[in-house]
Amino acid sequence: MNLAIIVLIVLFSISSFFFARTKVKKIAISNQTKLNALPDYYGFYLSLWCALPALLILIVWTIFEPSIIKAFIFQGISGENAQTYNNSELNLIYQQIKSFHFGYFTGTITEEIIRGAESYKSFLSIAQGSKIVLLATIIIFTTLYALKKILNNNKAREDVEKIFKGLLFVCSLVAILTTIGIIFALLFESIKFFSVINIFDFLFGTSWSPQRAFVRDASTITAEEYADLKNAFGTVPLFAGTAFIALIAMIVAVPIGLFSGIYMAEYANTKVRKYSKPIIEILAGIPTVVYGFFAALTVGPFFREIGEKFGLEVSSESALAAGLVMGVMIIPYISSLSDDVINAVPQSLRDGSYAIGATKSETIKRVVFPAALPGIVGSVLLAVSRAIGETMIVVMAAGLAANLTLNPLESTTTITTQIVMILVGDQEFDSPKTQSAFALGLTLFFATLVLNYIALRVVKKYREKYE
Amino acid sequence: MVMINNKVKIKTTNLNVYYGDKQALNDVNLEIHSKEVTALIGPSGCGKSTYIRCINRMNDVIDICRVTGSIEIDGNEINKKEIDVVSLREKIGMVFQKPNPFPKSIYDNVSYGPNIHGLAENKVKMDEIVETSLKKAALWNEVKDRLNEPGTSLSGGQQQRLCIARAISVNPEVILMDEPCSALDPIATAKIEELMDELKKSYTIVIVTHSMSQAVRVSQRTGFFHLGKLIEVDTTEKIFKNPNNKMTQDYITGRFG
Ligand SMILES: Nc1ncnc2c1ncn2[C@@H]1O[C@H](COP(=O)(O)OP(=O)(O)OP(=O)(O)O)[C@@H](O)[C@H]1O
Ligand SMILES: [Mg+2]
Repeated sequence: MNLAIIVLIVLFSISSFFFARTKVKKIAISNQTKLNALPDYYGFYLSLWCALPALLILIVWTIFEPSIIKAFIFQGISGENAQTYNNSELNLIYQQIKSFHFGYFTGTITEEIIRGAESYKSFLSIAQGSKIVLLATIIIFTTLYALKKILNNNKAREDVEKIFKGLLFVCSLVAILTTIGIIFALLFESIKFFSVINIFDFLFGTSWSPQRAFVRDASTITAEEYADLKNAFGTVPLFAGTAFIALIAMIVAVPIGLFSGIYMAEYANTKVRKYSKPIIEILAGIPTVVYGFFAALTVGPFFREIGEKFGLEVSSESALAAGLVMGVMIIPYISSLSDDVINAVPQSLRDGSYAIGATKSETIKRVVFPAALPGIVGSVLLAVSRAIGETMIVVMAAGLAANLTLNPLESTTTITTQIVMILVGDQEFDSPKTQSAFALGLTLFFATLVLNYIALRVVKKYREKYE
Repeated sequence: MVMINNKVKIKTTNLNVYYGDKQALNDVNLEIHSKEVTALIGPSGCGKSTYIRCINRMNDVIDICRVTGSIEIDGNEINKKEIDVVSLREKIGMVFQKPNPFPKSIYDNVSYGPNIHGLAENKVKMDEIVETSLKKAALWNEVKDRLNEPGTSLSGGQQQRLCIARAISVNPEVILMDEPCSALDPIATAKIEELMDELKKSYTIVIVTHSMSQAVRVSQRTGFFHLGKLIEVDTTEKIFKNPNNKMTQDYITGRFG
């Protein structure tokens, strides 16, 4: 239904474009006046005014319609029944009514549900009708308004510009608001969590086992219970695990990525470059789950076999396997960024070095690389924050045990993995266990934010140097 | 003739240069004399830069560039595979159109060459090389208190003199200069011209320039290039007073180019 409305609006808007265009041309000829803008702009002006307000209203309507209908239904149920329901019961009934209405209800059909479904149906059609009336009115008004403007030979070019500016502004507003919304959601849940668990116990505790945190009303926790509880939420093992796996990944990715970047930028001829760069970049397009398979099913068991030959105890889920595969995943980021950075070093510096009798490798080592270093550092930092945020590979290959260990052959776990573990399955939303996921998310967010900030600063400083 | 005393330092015979299919130089036969300044003039795109880049084999850096013909330095052929370009370039310094100091300290900019070629066995010797090079480039007094500052922090004219210091730090025999003053103001230009007068006592200098007056001021001999051909080469005095070729005449009087 909405789709049909949208199509109609768009069609109307398109035809109004042509209408306005021919109209103003005719007017200009018959009145012997000069138009303030090209005829196309009048077309755009009218069609934008036709479509945009109506579409906007449609979006808002679609967002709010279900909850408004829901409120009416709730009212209906509680009103005609002597029985009082609490909120979740109401929700359940509402779901039943809805599924009955759409014909996939399977439970016992009660009188209440049938009546509810009837009123649901009538509410839907009322909503439908009023929506169409409202949209039609809006379109008529906005179109008339724009038409009047056009007939008065408005400055259509500037006006269209303004409309586009507004449109762009709205889009960026949406982007910014959602970001802020996410941060606040994280923040509020984290604050709830930290009102139960001391933030220092969270950040510096060395034992992580949130499954021990049985659901409790936070306000009634006794001192003893808290002593137990705080041992469930010490994040040091998670941070250590995250940093450790990221470190292994960087040990793999930095040299390989950097050297391949240098090769690409300095040694490879145009033909090699043309083919090999996209091939390396394909690595960046592989979904991380695939890397995860690879780590869990190939690399992990491979290490264990090798370890067994040497009589070593290697767990099949190990930090080494996860870190290694994550390193491979990150190689293209580093190689392609450092390739760009090295290419940005002006040729004149290389010429200066060659002209004094330096060889190619001397030139790279002593002139190109130092000049590109800030940019390379920036790209490495970006890669690190990528590694820290990576989840899938670790979930599949590094295990879940929050061991505080530096042995790469043992299994470890990371922040992101634990967030997944906490939130998978049925959860009580107000238990400290669930909220701890938000607290973890918030800390992770800050860590990557700081890293990205440093990286961007470094990269920026580097840019200023040549411009 | 006066010229008879001059030893020929660089001699190119039937020099042809191609960028891909495009021919940039066409049978250039030119002799450059020792301890003199030779100016190369000609309209844009006529191959002056291409010519001087042949002398220190800088065209090797360009993939598509092909050089045929003979280039002799002190009678030794250098346009052949076996030649060691690294030691060739140690002997033949180059200063570019745009100052291109490395993003390193002033000291490191000058010590770069000697370092690579192992010309100084210790720090004291290196300090000495840096100081003499900067003095020869007439920059010492301006930078002696700030040798650790980045070379890029200098003014354009100072940067260009730093590049000259860098070029002479390895004690070359020839200095090639490709429009060394085109990015500089008249005062900095005057300084560098003065410097060239001084340098030509110990070095052979080849300078590409678009300024006729500069060619007259600094050079003893001038070569005129046009469309990849060397049209005329003679003493600067002869070229600018009474050239043999009509085209040269037109160019120096500003009728084309
Ligand atoms: N790297 C290159 N690749 C392809 N063609 C080139 C290259 N460098 C120079 N050329 C061509 O060779 C010809 C000579 O160029 P060159 O740079 O030697 O001219 P020039 O005399 O130095 O000019 P200007 O006075 O503008 O510096 C030009 O036609 C130019 O297009
Ligand atoms: Mg040139």
